[in-house]
Amino acid sequence: MATPTDQTSIIEVRNLVKRYGDATAVDDISFAVAEGDFFGFLGPNGAGKTTTMRILSTLLKKTSGTVRVAGHDVDADPDAVRRSIGFAMQEISLDNLASGYENLQLLGVLYGLTPREARTRAEELAQVVGLAKVADRWVNTYSGGMRRRLDLAGVLMHRPRVLFLDEPTQGLDPQARRIIYDYLRRLNADGTTIFLTTHYMDEADALCRELAFIDKGKIVQAGTPAQLKAGMGGDVIALKFRPDVVLEQAERVVRSLVGDKTDITRGGDQQISVAVKGADQFVPRLIEQLDKAGTPPLSLSVAQPSLEDVFVKLVGRSFLEDDESQLVHGRDPFVAGGEGQS
Amino acid sequence: MTLVRETYYLFVRGLKQSLRPWPSIIPSLFLPVFFLLVFSAAFANIRELPGFTAENYLVFYAPVAILQAIFFSSGDAGIDMVVDITSGYFDKMRIAPIRHISLLIGKLLAVGLRSIVQAGIVIAFILLLGGKIVTGVGGFLVILLLGALFGMAWSGVGITIALLTKNQRATQSAFILFFPFTYITTAQLPLHLLTGWYKTAVLLNPVTYILEAFRALTTTGWDGTAIATGFLAAACVAVVTLTAALVSFRRFAR
Ligand SMILES: Nc1ncnc2c1ncn2[C@@H]1O[C@H](COP(=O)(O)OP(=O)(O)OP(=O)(O)O)[C@@H](O)[C@H]1O
Ligand SMILES: [Mg+2]
Repeated sequence: MATPTDQTSIIEVRNLVKRYGDATAVDDISFAVAEGDFFGFLGPNGAGKTTTMRILSTLLKKTSGTVRVAGHDVDADPDAVRRSIGFAMQEISLDNLASGYENLQLLGVLYGLTPREARTRAEELAQVVGLAKVADRWVNTYSGGMRRRLDLAGVLMHRPRVLFLDEPTQGLDPQARRIIYDYLRRLNADGTTIFLTTHYMDEADALCRELAFIDKGKIVQAGTPAQLKAGMGGDVIALKFRPDVVLEQAERVVRSLVGDKTDITRGGDQQISVAVKGADQFVPRLIEQLDKAGTPPLSLSVAQPSLEDVFVKLVGRSFLEDDESQLVHGRDPFVAGGEGQS
Repeated sequence: MTLVRETYYLFVRGLKQSLRPWPSIIPSLFLPVFFLLVFSAAFANIRELPGFTAENYLVFYAPVAILQAIFFSSGDAGIDMVVDITSGYFDKMRIAPIRHISLLIGKLLAVGLRSIVQAGIVIAFILLLGGKIVTGVGGFLVILLLGALFGMAWSGVGITIALLTKNQRATQSAFILFFPFTYITTAQLPLHLLTGWYKTAVLLNPVTYILEAFRALTTTGWDGTAIATGFLAAACVAVVTLTAALVSFRRFAR
């Protein structure tokens, strides 16, 4: 991740704060994204991802801090920011009583394309997202995944320099997801900066070059996927035992080998997992000791930590503990009903 | 891009939105025609009332039907807006590199055109039922112009509520304003037959003057004062409602 003073940063966020009444949705975060980067912004539900993206895309006013996108301040020059960005929002938003093409073409002309250019581009993108056959139909006849794909196509109409994608592959089938990934990779290779939010950790791992984890409005960790996984303390060994084995006993054996400082996770189904460095030498010793204690494992697997493990370690626990506290109640009676937008 | 171009695109979109699916415009045509039929039948003998000069109640009531057609077409503007707001479509428009004022103007022009179309259809019904427009084609055009202006002005109410509440039901409920504003007027009886607080309220209601301008154009003839007062009243309403709409637009991104 580039530092906020980096000359080549296309997104610069410094001390960004957003409060809704008394609740703080984004709590003094700073980060920067270099031009051409593929940046993943990850975190549990309610962490503040969407709020941050809405501020970066000029939709929402921040409480304090400075935000520059594509070289322009979001408050001082929102129009210049808007010209440079595309934002695929978490909620699909389309004109339901219009055809796929009408939706795309309106966006095209509003972004300055001529009607003819907009039509050509719309046909091109309908092809990319696999909607060419249905693009003349009204959107209210589309399935959820088709709507998502049309929504994405709309954001790409004007070839934005910076692309904000808030859970863009939510609700897509595996094939559609792969097509979208490939297209995003190509866009990124051609120089588009991509700022992605997703709950699919495999997706983030495969696509992103830089990641930041946000939890309760604060950035808790940032780095490349490899750095973050390396920070997990080695490989994850997962052990499974026969039903008659007393799990506590097996855990004591593992504990005696790894020491007190390492976390040992117990799964419900007679499973134990532990992260260790140098698993290749550790495993023979482990099996020997477990055999000796009369608790031989039924199976054993060694895996490199996944981004999902990183996620769970960094933010998973807090997410489970205080789900309640993430609900911020707006004071506006109409907004509190859940229909509010900003 | 020029303001004119982006406003034009948004106008076309707004017009399509307000006319789709097409059967949805039937209720807003049905009600004015329904009231026209019912009231002209119910009050068929009202001419006997001393001081009531119109030749029949249909002729007297016709301008009210035109006014209602305009009320109904402009009331939908707020609903269309709140649908866009709750679906997130409005946000999509807000991050497009356009002047935000074109979002408002495009919508208003669409409302204006729809008011013209609906008023035109209702006038066709009036003529079919034996009513008339004494000022002829010229008067017909002036009615449409005033109708468009008042339609745009009135749509500011719904748009403001949509922007402030972002709530479908609240926006829908703006509909009830239709009743006092249409009926505390000279809709049922001419002004000189009204008395007391009711007459005061009627005189304070700007819609009264729009109605009287319509009535001059359909029934009494080229009454310059009544027509000019009607336009002035519509302009005053427009200033108030559109200012409110603009201010709530500014507040929107809180
Ligand atoms: N309009 C609003 N009024 C009050 N609180 C809000 C509003 N919008 C969001 N919040 C609160 O701000 C916090 C961050 O929400 P945000 O939508 O940014 O989360 P997120 O990281 O995008 O979560 P998810 O993964 O579920 O999409 C949450 O606690 C949420 O309740
Ligand atoms: Mg979100």
